[in-house]
Amino acid sequence: MAEVSEKDNEKKRKAAAPVIPHPGESTQQGKAGRPFWSGSITIGLVNVPVRLHTMVRDLSVSFRLLHKADGQPLRYDRVCTKDDRVIPWAETVKGYEVRKGEYVIFEPEELKAIMPESNRKIRIEKFVFYLSLDPVYFETSYILTPDRSEEAYSLFVTALQDLGRAAIGTITLRTKEYPVVVHAYGGGLIVTTLRYADEVTLPQAFITSADLPAPKEAELALAKRIINDLSGDFSMNDYHDRYREAVMNLIEKKLAGEKVVYAEPHPEEAKELMQALKETLSTLSAK
Amino acid sequence: MCPRIKCPCEGKILFSAENDNFLPMAGDEGTGSKETLISDLTRVRFTNLDKIMYPPLYVTKKEVITYYIRVAPRLLPFLSDRPVTMHRFPDGTGGEDFYEKDAPQGTPEFVKIFSHYSGTADREVNFVVCNNLDTLIWLANLASLEIHITLSKTGAYESPDLLLFDIDPEPPLSFDDVIDVSFVVREHLEDTGILAYVKTSGKKGLHIVVPLHAGYRFGEVREFAHHIGKNIAKDTSHVVSEFPRSRDPGTIFVDYLQNAQGKTMVAPYSLRGTPAATVSMPLQWDELKRGVRAEDFNIKTAISKKEEPWGGIFDNKQKIGK
Repeated sequence: MAEVSEKDNEKKRKAAAPVIPHPGESTQQGKAGRPFWSGSITIGLVNVPVRLHTMVRDLSVSFRLLHKADGQPLRYDRVCTKDDRVIPWAETVKGYEVRKGEYVIFEPEELKAIMPESNRKIRIEKFVFYLSLDPVYFETSYILTPDRSEEAYSLFVTALQDLGRAAIGTITLRTKEYPVVVHAYGGGLIVTTLRYADEVTLPQAFITSADLPAPKEAELALAKRIINDLSGDFSMNDYHDRYREAVMNLIEKKLAGEKVVYAEPHPEEAKELMQALKETLSTLSAK
Repeated sequence: MCPRIKCPCEGKILFSAENDNFLPMAGDEGTGSKETLISDLTRVRFTNLDKIMYPPLYVTKKEVITYYIRVAPRLLPFLSDRPVTMHRFPDGTGGEDFYEKDAPQGTPEFVKIFSHYSGTADREVNFVVCNNLDTLIWLANLASLEIHITLSKTGAYESPDLLLFDIDPEPPLSFDDVIDVSFVVREHLEDTGILAYVKTSGKKGLHIVVPLHAGYRFGEVREFAHHIGKNIAKDTSHVVSEFPRSRDPGTIFVDYLQNAQGKTMVAPYSLRGTPAATVSMPLQWDELKRGVRAEDFNIKTAISKKEEPWGGIFDNKQKIGK
């Protein structure tokens, strides 16, 4: 109990002096998120139960669009392009544009019927050398943690590590099936979804090296020297989103200058909720 | 355990001490915010009220909570003394979602807890029991868009007081076909003098529910439901009564298997995590006609319905045959 009250005190202290978090600050790193998927890696008849955690987050600055005159947030509506009427959800249908202005219509049931079924499995089909993989196909990585059986997980990590191999397979996340690669990383396992081949355009679509003029000997030597001079180690921590940092600084300044006019939610803005609450309380007490 | 923290700004600007974030994190929650709204009318502290819960409809958490408050007088009787399973959508539909049976950390004191061994989890689970309006509001504030309930109450957990037929179509069969089959199920029940209630699941099927007299065992209720399913399947080629065939294309499965201890159904009037913000809607049998769609009953329309088709359900307890 003592621990709890200490935590609460800390909460109170923080409440008294709100800190503006800078996305991507060191406090944000290493935060282990809740798993959002659990299932197993299956290799033939062998199962390694795992949980999936988010590994990558987008920290780009995002703004909310407001009405300039009164500072109120704007919302988007589905508006019919023909008569500018707002269309209720029930009156919408999905269409795939085959030619300009021509659509093939799909009922939700039709799409549902052909959706891949999620079977909570990362099904491994083969193993390859990790370094032989082409990173242009890499999409999003997720962290895999052991689910109950740490032995199976540990065995798999060590085996992959020792052999320098990665596992290739498939996973169904939500409604899409992805090819994936599972490999040992930072003492654990990560799974990376891959782009399908036809989703990636290769440079050959634009240029072929045969069309390029051969460089002159002396110029090539010079270029190589420059490259060698600039060679070194690189750390991702050397790079920061300077635009984001500038925006966060500005926000801090604007707040300090108390020029912020927009704070939500005021009790009045939750008026409908409060009205509902009053009415329901009186209905319930009348019962 | 969780004292209400007074905001030093005294209501001018509101923020959450819980999350100690004053500004929305760029990229973290889009344009979300983490303020807390405190009202004298409830012990729940509202957070992130403007977070979008149903992106296609731009329905915010404020509207979700308002819905649950408005529907509470009809919904609470079904939640009373039943362990609930939360189906939470912290980032709204389309984001990550998960089922939660355990009372989460920081569960307020006004929430009733029911501790019981769960076979699926293989451990003692501290279930939330929603016996008051504040608990319901708290669940909504947790973004538990869906609320699932057991078919028995905590006082007699081994003995169901509700029987459930869960009727779902496999494409290309549709909701219309489910409606037809549900009338057949009702007919079979009525032939033996049993009164049945119907609701949409809010997704692709219908739930038929029979309120039961005290004292039945899950086993015999399950067997009874299975028996009815088998009889219908015998006469109707596209109806299946057995689980292994339940995903066969062009069939309708009359699912009796939910009639087991600890199994749940979505509560009547619960929202669903569907793009159209559907509600699991109790209906009169005569409202149920071909052409009716699950989407007809949603967060906007459900509340305007005046009648309570399931009103008095617990005064109408039925006896089922051996």
